[in-house]
Amino acid sequence: MAAERLLPHRAPMRLVDTLVSAGDGCAVAESVLPRSAMMADAEGRIDEVAFVELIAQSYAAFKGYTDRMDGKPPGEGFLVGVRRLGITGSAYAGDRLQTSIRTVAAVGGFAVVEGAVTRGDETLASGTLKLWLVDPDADGDDR
Amino acid sequence: MSALRKGIAASAMETFAGTGAETGARRYRFGPGFIGFSGHFPGNPILPAIVQIRAAVSLAEEEGGKTLRLAAVRSAKFLAPIRPDEDVWIRVRRRVESGVDICDATLSVAGKTVAAFQLELAEGETPR
Repeated sequence: MAAERLLPHRAPMRLVDTLVSAGDGCAVAESVLPRSAMMADAEGRIDEVAFVELIAQSYAAFKGYTDRMDGKPPGEGFLVGVRRLGITGSAYAGDRLQTSIRTVAAVGGFAVVEGAVTRGDETLASGTLKLWLVDPDADGDDR
Repeated sequence: MSALRKGIAASAMETFAGTGAETGARRYRFGPGFIGFSGHFPGNPILPAIVQIRAAVSLAEEEGGKTLRLAAVRSAKFLAPIRPDEDVWIRVRRRVESGVDICDATLSVAGKTVAAFQLELAEGETPR
């Protein structure tokens, strides 16, 4: 499913193209970043920080998908923490990147998610993110 | 240099010298036209977390005078949203721990810490 239907992000900050599979707290998303991506340098090398966003957006796409399956519009969520995210490779514009996520915990509006970005058999980055899922029925900060 | 890095550099305001060669502090103001706000999110612009991390790495690079890459995010906390035209102070401190180049960074707005990171940095680029 096209990620644009599942995410609030829009170009150029939408990095995930497609949700490939989803189920049982896990998902795989796919991305091909263009040469014109804001994180690509003149040689097409993608800034390492993009890996964090790929994992966050892949989870957001998964959550958007489950929201749609529940008959609701995709909710909002925000990255609030990162732990032990190691970067072991580089990505380049045009690479077909797959990001897999696994929901480790989802409690009280927060989700803890393990994620990994791969290109073929090569893992480029992996780590754990914490996200805050906005309750649309709650008052308060609109972060 | 990526468009994102150029945009961050263009958003830098004054720099304050740190207490040593390994520290630095700089004020940034990311205007509504800053590229990082584009699409994040329509009608509700928030400075992306990855822009905050990238800005801290870039400041550490400039303070150290060497090209660095992000090798790991040991920990990062994003405590409050950063909106367009807010004055954002970024402070970095470099140290070596068990042979690993560590960068402790904090971002603050109006005296309040809005993000804090512990990053691992390395010189040069990751081999393809």
